[in-house]
Amino acid sequence: MSMLSRRQSNCLLGELLTMYCFLRFSILLVGLIVSAGSYAVSAAQPLTTADDLGPKVEQPIEFPHDRHAGDAAKGGMQINCMYCHTYARRSIVAGIPPLQKCIGCHQNIESVRETPRIKKLFEYWEAKKAVPWKKVHDLPDFVRFNHERHIQRFVFAQNKPVQEACGYCHGDVKTMTVARRQKPLSMGWCVSCHQKDHPVDATSTKTTHGPNDCWQCHK
Amino acid sequence: MIENSFNRRGFLKVLGWGGATVALSGCGNTSVEDGKEFVTSYVQTADYIIPSIGTYFNSTCAQCDAGCGIMGRVREGRVLKLEGNPKSSINNGKMCGLGQAGVQAHYNPDRIREPLLRNGDKGEAITWEKALGLINEKVGGVKAENIAFLTGGVSGHVKALLKNYLDALGSGHHYVYEAVAPSIMRAANKKAYGIEMPRLRLDKAKVIVSFGADFLGAWISPVHFSQQYARFRKADNGERGVLVQVESKMTLTGANADRWLAIRPGTEGILALGLINALAAAGLSVPGDVAAVVKEYTTDRVSKDTGVSTEHIGRLAALLKERSPSLVIAGSAAEGYAHGSQNATAIALLNQVLGNVGKTVEAPSSVPFPQMAPATGNRLALQSLNDNVAQDKVKVLFTYGVNPVFTAPASMKLKENLKKVPFKVVFAHYMDETALEADLVLPLNSALEDWATAMPEYVAEGAQLNIQQPLMEKLYPGTLGMGDILLALLKQRRPDEYKGYEDFYSYLRSAMVSNKGALGGLATDDDTFWDATLSHGVVKLAGTPVNMSGSPSAKGLVVPGPFAEDSAYPFHLIPAVSASLRDGRNANEPWLQESPDPLTTIVWDSWVEMHPKTAAKLGIVEGDIVEVASRSGAIKAQAYVFTGIHPDVISVPLGNGHEALGRYAKGIGVNAFKILDSVFDKETGELAMHETRVKVSKAGQRVVIVKDEGPAGGNQMGRKIAVRMSSNKVNLSGEV
Repeated sequence: MSMLSRRQSNCLLGELLTMYCFLRFSILLVGLIVSAGSYAVSAAQPLTTADDLGPKVEQPIEFPHDRHAGDAAKGGMQINCMYCHTYARRSIVAGIPPLQKCIGCHQNIESVRETPRIKKLFEYWEAKKAVPWKKVHDLPDFVRFNHERHIQRFVFAQNKPVQEACGYCHGDVKTMTVARRQKPLSMGWCVSCHQKDHPVDATSTKTTHGPNDCWQCHK
Repeated sequence: MIENSFNRRGFLKVLGWGGATVALSGCGNTSVEDGKEFVTSYVQTADYIIPSIGTYFNSTCAQCDAGCGIMGRVREGRVLKLEGNPKSSINNGKMCGLGQAGVQAHYNPDRIREPLLRNGDKGEAITWEKALGLINEKVGGVKAENIAFLTGGVSGHVKALLKNYLDALGSGHHYVYEAVAPSIMRAANKKAYGIEMPRLRLDKAKVIVSFGADFLGAWISPVHFSQQYARFRKADNGERGVLVQVESKMTLTGANADRWLAIRPGTEGILALGLINALAAAGLSVPGDVAAVVKEYTTDRVSKDTGVSTEHIGRLAALLKERSPSLVIAGSAAEGYAHGSQNATAIALLNQVLGNVGKTVEAPSSVPFPQMAPATGNRLALQSLNDNVAQDKVKVLFTYGVNPVFTAPASMKLKENLKKVPFKVVFAHYMDETALEADLVLPLNSALEDWATAMPEYVAEGAQLNIQQPLMEKLYPGTLGMGDILLALLKQRRPDEYKGYEDFYSYLRSAMVSNKGALGGLATDDDTFWDATLSHGVVKLAGTPVNMSGSPSAKGLVVPGPFAEDSAYPFHLIPAVSASLRDGRNANEPWLQESPDPLTTIVWDSWVEMHPKTAAKLGIVEGDIVEVASRSGAIKAQAYVFTGIHPDVISVPLGNGHEALGRYAKGIGVNAFKILDSVFDKETGELAMHETRVKVSKAGQRVVIVKDEGPAGGNQMGRKIAVRMSSNKVNLSGEV
């Protein structure tokens, strides 16, 4: 708390607007610490959280996630998230697949070759232009979120289904067309999960928290 | 000095507001750009390209002529950071600050983005097709002897293409100009050893006596010498080498020396001959004719002439006698006078007498491909070009890799003379002073976007061909590489010979692959050889050591006495070459401006350095704006009082004082090149850089110098935190 009050007094010296800002910030932090106290329960808790919809993002091609990753019963292909977002397990970002990956499959799928979206896709390919996909999940520049750590932990160590693990933060993408942010992605929301107990791996009964150091994310 | 009204306090105020705005937007999460920013998206990628993970590619540093190998970290198609390439024997994986700033040369916002044709006072953007067509028309319309190329040091395939283009035009006028090159030393070495640039083995020497060679800072190949220096200081046998630096203005190397001797400017040769005499007296065998020449250089006389005490001369001679092999180096401080050649020759003679040739002065390797061997520059080249321009002998002038309008002394009247050249083409990265005078400006790819090969003048082991390859896509579609331009020009002249090459890359690959046997790829197929070459970034060549000739001889060696007093211009001006700014070509890289000068800690400005005694005599204190006037001009800058300088000397650093070169360089500091007098070395005809005499007067204003050191300078406010002792109380030869 001493850190908080020092930040507050600093901001009193500063401009009025800054003060307003820090006050809001500190109220948020105090709220966090109070709520952190109430989470001191040792059993493993479910990782689902409330939704907080982000803005609708218009993409150059309206990519149907439901068609690619959705359940077979609903006409989906049930493709693994990491088949396309291949960087997620080895990089801090999940990444967008290079266009050659889309084309790699679609040049052999004659049935949809003439649909408007696929025609557009091949236009990009023939012009050798990358599709200008927009960011849907962005974090402030002072936050460093690492996909690799989360995928290695939940998918490879704990053996969770991929769609469940990705879904903690990205929601139920397999039911969407163009992805839309589902969760707040705020610091409080990150911390709420880092304070829960997670099993160390698929077989162990040992549990542990997510890291709680500032520098894990703010480097 | 900060002269405009936007002072430090104002700056902080604005920063405060900026900070507040950032904080505010942080609260509302508006720095998050969902739906606004683009995701890194590729059409096709190699498997090893993973977003957010860096890939390293090897290339060659182009920030100075040392030719260190570099390794660029590339992420999401952008080069982020440079490291040294461990495979290069020049820098062995290490790098200097100047090299680090290479990314700022590349991302510099002031780069020229398309070809510009002069239209009155303005440059009008034109297409490359039109630009190259215009060149073809202009060179076709004049006699070949009226076409001239002025370049910096060039080597490798670009040099070969340039020569072919000149041959195709039928003109041999290629002037190679380097403003601060050790050209007088090269000539003296050639005379003494039969080669211009021997290999200096600092690591093998037990004593180094350097006459103003700043080999740790800005001299020839500083990263390489720094590594040798480390081994010299901590040799395998545990014996620590002793460095004595003799110079009139302290350099970074002087600051690292065990003993720094302030010598009266221009008397370096006298000290060298005095040392030979003292060594002969101590029993070192000296050839008869040398002994006859040096015998009049008695310690007393030498001490009187040079200002170095007899005690120090005696100790230095004893040290050289005791510890062998030693190494004596003639740097820019010794060669910068009208008798610079004699100084350098006397210093080479000292090396020979000490028996260092073959031990610490080694023969370099021959270069297997002479057409790619480095063409090293000097100042005489600019002088002869200037003479030809003044006599209307140049009708079309191409300039590449140099900025002569900035580096030529005002007394040369180069800028005025250039107006006589009807068509001037400048290949440039930025609008520098020379590009402003051009009729046609052709924008070049940055060194991190371009293909080239280079052979540095100073190579540590064998011979080496450096590969320069693009670390990322071009930032601007309107720039071209020098190799590509030369190839396009050659296609105009010799279409049959060059039409098979689509671009410089295909030319380079084909030239390298067809010679792979000589480049160490005899047993491999073409693709493997080429991939390995690009992956390593250097090609080691088998070179045979050239023969060193010459025996110690004092024939024709006449070292003049010390300078006479000049009551009108009482001080010697030493234009100092700094490790970051060199001849000024890098002045637009803010990291270099921002990194403090190693001795004065001053940033973002020029200064006039003087000894406290001199300052007291003139009534000058730190921060006074002073005028430094020579017979050729005057500059005004802030005074900095410093004990590491001879009282007869005034020093102003080179590199700043640009009137162009973009937002980070323009209007910063003063240009000391401008006030240099036209005095030339008598033997080589080179401009004598240290020969200018100046007078100093207060200009009335006083400023607070922006520097890193505390307000009290190095005096520690009397707190004795780091205790020190004056050098004459230390007996080094007894201690080491």
